[in-house]
Amino acid sequence: MQKTFDKKKFISQNSIWLVLIALVIIMSGAQPNFFSVSNLTTLLTGEAVKGIMAFGVMFAILSKGIDLTIGASAALVACITASLVQPADYANARFPGMGEKPVILVILVGLLIGAAIGAIYGAIIAYTKIPPFIATLGAQLICRAGAKIFTNRPISNLSEGFRFFGSGRLGGFPVIILVFIIMYIISAFLLTQTRFGKNVYAIGGNDQAARVAGINVEVNLIKVYVWCSLCAAIAGMLLAGRSGSADSANSGLNYELDAIAAATVGGTSHTGGICRVSGVLAGILILGVINNGLVMLKVDDNMTNIVKGLIIVGSVILDMRKNAKRA
Amino acid sequence: MKKRIFACFTAMAMAATLLTGCGGGNNGGGAASGSGASGSGASGGDGSMNMTLIMSLRDEFLSSLESGCKDAASKAGVTLATQDAQNDTGKLLQFIESARNAGDKAVIINLVDAETAQQCIEAAGDMKVVFVNRVPADTSVLNENAAAVVSDETKSGGYQGEWLAKHFKEQNKTDVKYIMLQGTLGLVHTEQRSASVIEQMKEGGLNPVEAAAPLVADYDRATAMDMISPLIGTTDFDCIIANNDAMALGAVEALKAKNVDPKTVPVVGIDATVDGLEAVKNGELAMTVFQDPVGQGFGAVMAAANMCNGKALNEGTDYEIDTENPYIVWVPFEPVYPENVDEYANK
Repeated sequence: MQKTFDKKKFISQNSIWLVLIALVIIMSGAQPNFFSVSNLTTLLTGEAVKGIMAFGVMFAILSKGIDLTIGASAALVACITASLVQPADYANARFPGMGEKPVILVILVGLLIGAAIGAIYGAIIAYTKIPPFIATLGAQLICRAGAKIFTNRPISNLSEGFRFFGSGRLGGFPVIILVFIIMYIISAFLLTQTRFGKNVYAIGGNDQAARVAGINVEVNLIKVYVWCSLCAAIAGMLLAGRSGSADSANSGLNYELDAIAAATVGGTSHTGGICRVSGVLAGILILGVINNGLVMLKVDDNMTNIVKGLIIVGSVILDMRKNAKRA
Repeated sequence: MKKRIFACFTAMAMAATLLTGCGGGNNGGGAASGSGASGSGASGGDGSMNMTLIMSLRDEFLSSLESGCKDAASKAGVTLATQDAQNDTGKLLQFIESARNAGDKAVIINLVDAETAQQCIEAAGDMKVVFVNRVPADTSVLNENAAAVVSDETKSGGYQGEWLAKHFKEQNKTDVKYIMLQGTLGLVHTEQRSASVIEQMKEGGLNPVEAAAPLVADYDRATAMDMISPLIGTTDFDCIIANNDAMALGAVEALKAKNVDPKTVPVVGIDATVDGLEAVKNGELAMTVFQDPVGQGFGAVMAAANMCNGKALNEGTDYEIDTENPYIVWVPFEPVYPENVDEYANK
């Protein structure tokens, strides 16, 4: 252990942030409006929903799993909670005449549904040992179908109280960004300061060793997917609040892939056991800068996706080389 | 690792068989009743007919279309089953073959890909085919056994362009900077809607200029909102053109979030969804275009039944047959402005 500043190590550990800074500098040079308070707020607001999902899915990836359900479960939770906050006099409401329920209650219902969904497929993964890819793929199909059975048209005209979290402002600051920051802090705390976090690292690193060390792998895996699904539920409610509508067919569609991409770019290793919350935050911001910046530079949508694809693949190649050296 | 990947694929394959198994089950039921019906059909002439509606991907619009199909089915004595191809042409073709094997008289097809109409007709064999909502890319594939009941998508964008031309002419403005929110690329109606609005603006004497590259928001409200947000306040534009109402409403939300009154920027949509009409009513959307899903569904099943019974395609409906291609029935688009929005509230 050397205490002196090791430049090489610093750069290698924070390379992702350096990439982010480089991107921001390039974008700011190309489009002066990019680095303005108003645009950075826009960027964060736009990435908050997928970012919160990334904070969830990074736990799954860290445990050597994956969660493909989150986009669909977010849609399901969004549709159900949205249907509880439509005004009583709205003729096209999902439940006409029922009226708005208290927002706190609705959010609790949303979180409960999210936790329940995660607990179910978490338990299936933990106890049947089927690959998480399959379990969560199945859960994704079921959740999306569930949402479509629940409603075949967008649920809109949502109460101000419910929309506050997605589109409101506190002292001029968007609430959705506050929620995003809070979720970041909670994730960081869970991952680095709790026994649960350490257990997930251990399970991802080597589940047999973790078991020998006395870790209850099954219970911890269930907790991972409950957390993942809770994040999705929060993201779903924010999404409905932000856009003012929950759409069973389109809401959250393919968001899981963006969340996984952000976690991956952020250095979460798909072979398990390696993850830094700050890295994932940087990953979210990098994809956000690309999404936002390239729109402002009037770059064609297909080109944007090509850039995103290259960055995702490139970042993993870099990470794997880095991790191989470390091992 | 290899083992794991293999396991993934095996499980996926199992899931796939399970799903098609389910579909087969449904059609098996149809087959049993189908043979019964064809028996009575032979003796009774105008007896019950089995048909299958195959939609590209169930959404609000196609659910309304389905309800129109059911209205016509009960009127024409048709037993109708519905399948959802999940935007997958492979699945769509499978459903067509299953319907044929089950002895259906006709299939009502909402194409996933307009270029695949010929394959659909081939897969249908002896069954009558009616394409609904989406026009085959090549209408020459239509014949006495394969018709189309559709709306002219160049008209929908056309109405948007017409309104914009009138609006900006009144302000003596000819150079109009626009932001376009596009639906899923590769779909014919996305291209037709996008192209026809610009064409019509030019025809109306405007000089439309792109304020940004087209934003591809896949017909989704939240995606549209995210994509357009960075441009508001940083880019100069005069109007927002959206390929559907959901994206137009996403733009309205984005404007509101940036404290721009949506009434100061014309935003135009297509579809006249419930939310879209509400927004036209309170002035947040300048206009939208009503596409008649119930009418399309109704017209499609009537056309199929008429074909089976050897009658004119549009018998029993108000819709007109195309002047050049006798196998196309047009269900008109209608522009919706604040002045006439109330007429559409209950459609």
